[in-house]
Amino acid sequence: MANAFTFLKKLVARKEKPKPPMTNNKQAARKPENDDTPVLSERLALIKKRLGESNDVVIREFNTSKDQVKLALLLIDGLVDKKMINDNIMLPILSNTLANEYSEKLTASNAFELLNKHITAVSELSQASNLTQALKMVLSGDTALFIDGEQRIIVFGTRMWEKRTVAEPVTEAAVRGPREGFTETMRINTSLLRRRIKHENLRFETMKAGRRTATDINLVYINDIVNQETLAEVRQRIAAIDTDAILESGYIEEYIEDAPFSIFPQLEHTERVDKAAAAILEGRVLVMTDNTPFMLIVPTSFFQFIQASEDFYERPYVALFLRLLRLFVLNIALILPATYVAVISFHQEMLPTSLLLNITAAREGIPFPAVAEALLMEGTFEVLREAGIRLPKTVGQAVSIVGGLVIGDAAIRAGLVSPGMVIIVAATAISTFAIPAFNASVALRLLRFPLIILGAMMGLYGVIFGLIIILIHLAGLQSFGVPYLTPLVHGTFRDMVKTIVRPPWWANIFRPRLLDPQQRRRQATNTWARHTPLEERELTHEESKDRQPGKG
Amino acid sequence: MKKAKIGSLEKGKISPRQGGELLVISLLATSILLVPAVAVEQQGQNAWLAVLLGTIWGLVTLSIVCWLGNKHPEETIFQYTETLLGKWLGKVVGLLYVWSFLRVVAIVIREFGDFMTTSFMPNTPLSVFSLSLIFLAAWTVFAGLEVLARMNEFIILLVIGSLYFILLLSLGNWELGYLQPLFRVEFLSLLKTSLIPEVWAVDTITFAVIIPFLTRPQRALAAGAAAAVFANGLLAIGLISLLATFGPYFLLVTRFPILMFVRSISVAQILSRFEVLIMVVWVAGVFAKTTFYLYCACLGLAQITGLKEIRPVVLALGTIAVVWSFSLFENITELEASVSTTSPRVLLMYFGIPLFLLVLTWLKEKLHKRQLGRMQ
Repeated sequence: MANAFTFLKKLVARKEKPKPPMTNNKQAARKPENDDTPVLSERLALIKKRLGESNDVVIREFNTSKDQVKLALLLIDGLVDKKMINDNIMLPILSNTLANEYSEKLTASNAFELLNKHITAVSELSQASNLTQALKMVLSGDTALFIDGEQRIIVFGTRMWEKRTVAEPVTEAAVRGPREGFTETMRINTSLLRRRIKHENLRFETMKAGRRTATDINLVYINDIVNQETLAEVRQRIAAIDTDAILESGYIEEYIEDAPFSIFPQLEHTERVDKAAAAILEGRVLVMTDNTPFMLIVPTSFFQFIQASEDFYERPYVALFLRLLRLFVLNIALILPATYVAVISFHQEMLPTSLLLNITAAREGIPFPAVAEALLMEGTFEVLREAGIRLPKTVGQAVSIVGGLVIGDAAIRAGLVSPGMVIIVAATAISTFAIPAFNASVALRLLRFPLIILGAMMGLYGVIFGLIIILIHLAGLQSFGVPYLTPLVHGTFRDMVKTIVRPPWWANIFRPRLLDPQQRRRQATNTWARHTPLEERELTHEESKDRQPGKG
Repeated sequence: MKKAKIGSLEKGKISPRQGGELLVISLLATSILLVPAVAVEQQGQNAWLAVLLGTIWGLVTLSIVCWLGNKHPEETIFQYTETLLGKWLGKVVGLLYVWSFLRVVAIVIREFGDFMTTSFMPNTPLSVFSLSLIFLAAWTVFAGLEVLARMNEFIILLVIGSLYFILLLSLGNWELGYLQPLFRVEFLSLLKTSLIPEVWAVDTITFAVIIPFLTRPQRALAAGAAAAVFANGLLAIGLISLLATFGPYFLLVTRFPILMFVRSISVAQILSRFEVLIMVVWVAGVFAKTTFYLYCACLGLAQITGLKEIRPVVLALGTIAVVWSFSLFENITELEASVSTTSPRVLLMYFGIPLFLLVLTWLKEKLHKRQLGRMQ
């Protein structure tokens, strides 16, 4: 299958030949730096030409208090803190009442230095050497100050816009655990993470992607834990993205994943801050995209999708039970309808006689074969589910009542489907919802249909045939060098057990082996409070660094 | 002659544990079907002793092969036969092994198809099973050794887990009297039975192919021996439980005793009818074994013919195996008859040639007065 994919990829790639570089005169026409000029009036005309007549572009021309220098501010309304601009930039320059001796000394030649260092009172301040550079920053919410006769431009960090407040993550609700979720604003998101990991080695590495959207992307990791090779790989794959727009982390996911044609999600996404922090602390890389609350976790293995952040806060026994339950449910969601169809059509002898009699009696008079029944019911269910999602909450309930109860009941009474099939479909549907990760459960839902058809064609052998195909595919998948089925396959025994058993925190000593973090050890051995006195503990690398100078 | 580098044919590396697991699945997957017929016929209630004793023969082959692998690092059996025997004779011997691996593929496919058509789907033609199985196997061989090993790790959990489950549930049906008289055997006849090794021991020869692809080849012997002992131990336990449930005489007249065995399990009228489970195990295990042997055969042919890639030969060999499986024997009884005696072919392939290669290597070392390969 992988080969078919690479072939397809080649085919796609061949069609999109890189465009020949632009011709010389076009390039000249596009090159804005050439037109840049220190003369203020010409510069403003140029800005108007380049930004057009957009009504959120504000150009404010003014002179210094004694008319020594002509100045102009450029800002985008709605992206800036106007109060800050008024009080900290314009007021000190214009006002005579303030005891500001520097305003009086202003001349055209020293304006840049004085404005920069002495007059304005903004904490975040930078320079741009030409118009293009300044425009980029202005379009992200900064304010540019142009000085007549001065090539350099002062850029004030004045970003402020309407943002959604930190709210509870909708898609990943938890009974226990922090209620904060990521928002669309990157600055808020970084602060949420920084508040959880107050360590000097937590890094936010900025990248940009999207020629038109210029979307900010942050790689978040802990520098002395993360595997540097994985990090370099992530960096390289993101740098290779060449597109005009990145609107959601889903775009990035598709650009950087290993097998683009696979039906399985190869990167986990989360809007829970605690989950993201835990992933970083394990040695993973978090890919943070501006304008979306969904963060990507790299690398990802399949069994992460049966883990929920709650597992790590509840008692270990609860976590163990829930994980076993999810594993079971995962199988149900995938194979239950197919198995039912196969058994009803081919292997009736496998059912106990009384059960078989019941089922046969219920199927009496139903016009369709079991497979048609199954596909009909599964299809109906998918439609209902899809309809329920998009509707307003109040109407959504009506849909589920009409769809689930009325149609289901009527279909049985009318003799279209058997009650057994309705039970099977309902059980499958509920199982699908019990899988924590939506993208994983969607993959399973899609795979259910071919399995039903295989089951109807070749009985249980067909179902197993289909499952082996899925297994071959999964065994071949990798996520950034980590086999997808880790740690059940290819992992250490300890990691294999930890997939299902969540150890108590004091016994959770090592980070996952397959991530190959720089520091394997999470904590000293036996750190349960009453196990070993503090002085006798084996120290982690980090702790020993911290303690040595004092103790000698 | 300049030898094609290993890396050009197979880039993947597997851990010794994964190699051992491939061996376990090869030993377990099909033998549960043939062992009762062959061993019980000759040794009665002590058949399981023969299986345990048979492990030794497997270990002998394994040790020879591992020693050879150590002396010829980075080379498979298809390559060091050429080094030792010269280009043409080496190729002939290599082809002999390709033939023998492919024969196992054909046998396994046929056994599998027979089992499915008799027990589960009598109206489905045999070719459906052969073709679908070889399709899956070829696909996996295309994907490479690493994928095969990883997939097998998953399958082995499934196979061994369900075997234990079934054995545990069968405890209620055990009639220990069937196992008596215990140990009343002639040692020589037991040894003779254990020497019918094609059924349960000689899968260890596959290590001659995969040792160069292990991450730590020096661990091959330990991993392989552990795998052989484990698999044959499990097989012996399975045989004991079969004997304890049915007694030796009933086993001989039943075609697929393991299926009857599973059908007989019923705990509290709820946990019953586990045939599905045995079928899942059967299909998964047989698939892994077929794939592994097909891989060995394809790799061998590609190396002998000096191909740069394994892919061109996969479909060809797969097709041959399917056709061969149809004409190999009339029914499973014929197969049982053919494997229940120690044929010279078996002795030659699994002991004779490896031993000969070993002696040649030893002589070569003496002649050139230098140590070959990696130090032990």
